[in-house]
Amino acid sequence: MKQWQLNSIALLALTLLAGCSTSSSPRQALAEAKADFDAVSKLPAIQQSAEQNLHQADESLTRAERLSHYWGNGREVVHYSYLSSRYSAIAREQGAQSLAGERISGLERERARLELALHESQQLGGEPKGEWLEMQLASLASSEAGRGLVVTLGDVLFDTGRADLKPAATRSLLQVASFLRVNENRAVRIEGYSDNQGDAQQNLELSRARAQSVSAMLVDLGISPQRIQVKGYGDAHPIAENASARGRALNRRVEIVVSDEKGVLGEER
Amino acid sequence: MNKAGLSIALVMLGLVGCSNHPAPEEQLRLSEQALDQAKAVGASAEADELALAQDKLQQARIAFDRGKYRKARMLAEQAELDARLAEAKVLTQKRQKQLSELEQQVESLRKQLGAL
Repeated sequence: MKQWQLNSIALLALTLLAGCSTSSSPRQALAEAKADFDAVSKLPAIQQSAEQNLHQADESLTRAERLSHYWGNGREVVHYSYLSSRYSAIAREQGAQSLAGERISGLERERARLELALHESQQLGGEPKGEWLEMQLASLASSEAGRGLVVTLGDVLFDTGRADLKPAATRSLLQVASFLRVNENRAVRIEGYSDNQGDAQQNLELSRARAQSVSAMLVDLGISPQRIQVKGYGDAHPIAENASARGRALNRRVEIVVSDEKGVLGEER
Repeated sequence: MNKAGLSIALVMLGLVGCSNHPAPEEQLRLSEQALDQAKAVGASAEADELALAQDKLQQARIAFDRGKYRKARMLAEQAELDARLAEAKVLTQKRQKQLSELEQQVESLRKQLGAL
């Protein structure tokens, strides 16, 4: 065979190889896949919810990159870049789903609380007179020297170790809210307390988070946030000894301190 | 001749490059499954990704029947991920819809309570 014949056959082979590649340039496809992966792997919600797809996006990308170092793999580079971009896109969708899912469960809890609150307030028969409310509140609250009226929400009204309020807390909070709606000048300070078990810093945070949940509920019930202060005290100011389980349960509580008629709250502890 | 040897090697590579691949039966099955799954959650042909998936799967089957296994496998792999993305997008939309409905309900409950 003569040289020119061989060369033309080689040329034909090149054409065949080129025939395997697609219109999109491998370099461009690879750069796009890389950008897709970088963008999606930065999103905080993605890591857990889309671990598998993120991993596969990475793997396909690595493969495309490796293939791009060798001549004649244009079509494969485009292919694996395409797969990688798709995996990234799927991961992004999963991340969005998981974020929405979290919001949904939060809102479902809130809806349940509000429905219960609405139901209870309808049973109370509209907004009762202030005097009656004060009696109602007095039945919930205790009067403490120097602190004024204090409504205590016990540990049982929270999920264990968590700040979420149980629906059973609604009745008390509804009465506090009704009272505050009628007594427009009064304010409250919501104080969270814990027992002395475990890490002091965590206890402090949990006590504050629980107080914050109570505040959020009062706001849901139409009380202006400006009338509400929130404090976390951790294991300070126990009302019972921490030696027994019963004592500790009593210490884990949220206290709502009600101001006087002029809106003046007792001194902070 | 060395040059000639290289040329022949290139010819062989070029020819082998597009054939001699295992039949991607399993991949075709996976892609069909992904497509069915996407349709099952309610992805419609209007979704770009689903249309792409259907088109590529069809092309993959044609390539498969002609013995072009490498092409068939690539098309089927892409079709699978197109279908899975179509499915994921539908699921995201459903979640978003649920979320905005809930937001409206909560908003309306707050108003009712505030009016009391």
